Amino acid sequence: MEQEKIVATGLNLFYGEFQALKNINLSIRGNQVTALIGPSGCGKSTFLRCLNRMNDIIPSCRVTGRITFDGIDINQPEIDVVALRKRVGMVFQAPNPFPKTIYDNVAFAPKLHGLKDKRKLDEVVETALRQAALWDEVKDRLHKPALGLSGGQQQRLCISRALAIQPEVLLMDEPTSALDPISTLKIEELIRELKEMYTIVIVTHNMQQAARISDNTAFFLVGEVVEVGTTDVLFTRPQDQRTEDYITGRFG
Amino acid sequence: MATRTAFDEALKVLQRDLLRMGSLVETAIQDSVQALVQGNIGLAEKVIAGDDVIDQLQIQLEDCCMKLIVTQQPMAKDLRRIGAAWHIAIDLERMADIAVNIAKAVRRMAKESLAKPLIDIPRMADLCQQMVRTGLDAYIREDEQLAWGLSELDDRLDALYKQVFRELVAVMLENPQTVAPVAHLLFIARFLERIGDHTTNIGESVIYLVTGEHTDLNE
Repeated sequence: MEQEKIVATGLNLFYGEFQALKNINLSIRGNQVTALIGPSGCGKSTFLRCLNRMNDIIPSCRVTGRITFDGIDINQPEIDVVALRKRVGMVFQAPNPFPKTIYDNVAFAPKLHGLKDKRKLDEVVETALRQAALWDEVKDRLHKPALGLSGGQQQRLCISRALAIQPEVLLMDEPTSALDPISTLKIEELIRELKEMYTIVIVTHNMQQAARISDNTAFFLVGEVVEVGTTDVLFTRPQDQRTEDYITGRFG
Repeated sequence: MATRTAFDEALKVLQRDLLRMGSLVETAIQDSVQALVQGNIGLAEKVIAGDDVIDQLQIQLEDCCMKLIVTQQPMAKDLRRIGAAWHIAIDLERMADIAVNIAKAVRRMAKESLAKPLIDIPRMADLCQQMVRTGLDAYIREDEQLAWGLSELDDRLDALYKQVFRELVAVMLENPQTVAPVAHLLFIARFLERIGDHTTNIGESVIYLVTGEHTDLNE
């Protein structure tokens, strides 16, 4: 518990000639929530996508430096990216359920990973929906289209879809920016509960949200980590003037 | 550098109200001790009546702080600025209450003649006013050094208090007839010493504002 789950060391990332991440050194502790904050284009989402090698699909993208996951370098060629992404799940800004039923959305990945037994699948789906605090709202309509759910429900469905294959780490890229305040609160409550079992890294533009839900916060600026520390300290007495300027809204 | 006009203006209003409250508190301290020296009951009554205005200002400041937290969601130094203002307003309000205590003691002493000429108690009152002013200057200028200086001023106030205490005890021993009026004077000296402690609280709020560190100026 609370060990360093993911460690980035001297990480650089280039999109063609443009360097999006510069010498990032950042540790993500297990069973904690780490928030990444910073202005648009600062590299926080790019960093997040490095953690499950989502940047691989961008042709001009080149990474140097190391990211270890439980001590293993995930950028080695022999790493099985599918296996990595099974351990590092992801939830995106806009809810993006598959145009399938609620049940099939959650069962999709377990099936893909070879789970055939119907009874076991039912169990997995129920557990994942319960963990995402959605079960009570959808248990009577599991075989209805997922797209019929509200935005907040869809986002919780996407979270349960990510949880269905029991990842260890959950990456969340602005998971509530498209949601109303009530749905946002539900997701925030959920994040609090989920960190018992998962390590969570969340990108958010909402600083109050970062302050509310995270244990640690890293402030990114033009591709660098300016300051990282416990959330309490970073938001009440940041050490770097640039952090102070950004979080007090006097930046730009 | 992006600006936050509405927020910065609201902070200025907050500072202005705090200064206004501070100058009312200074006057209350001065008047209460002046009433004592002159045996002026009218002035003591003025201090007692004036407390309502200070109470109102404190409530107004507290509302303003809460509103800024809700509407502006301040972080870092902005948050500490507001937290410090909130705290300072509470300390000022307590000091005004203590000035009222002094004024009430003056009212009760009305018929008694002073046991001895007052020298050190007015000195204590002057020092208290200076400390209130110093605390508020330190807040407005966000001057950590100025705030630390309150510690030394408070030592001087404590030394004066001890001296007053020794002298008044001697007076009582000499002439037991004086016990009742001198007991009032002892309380008044003690009240002024307490005002000093509230000003060191202000200093601590200022140091927290500037550095984010909690300190003790009253060791």
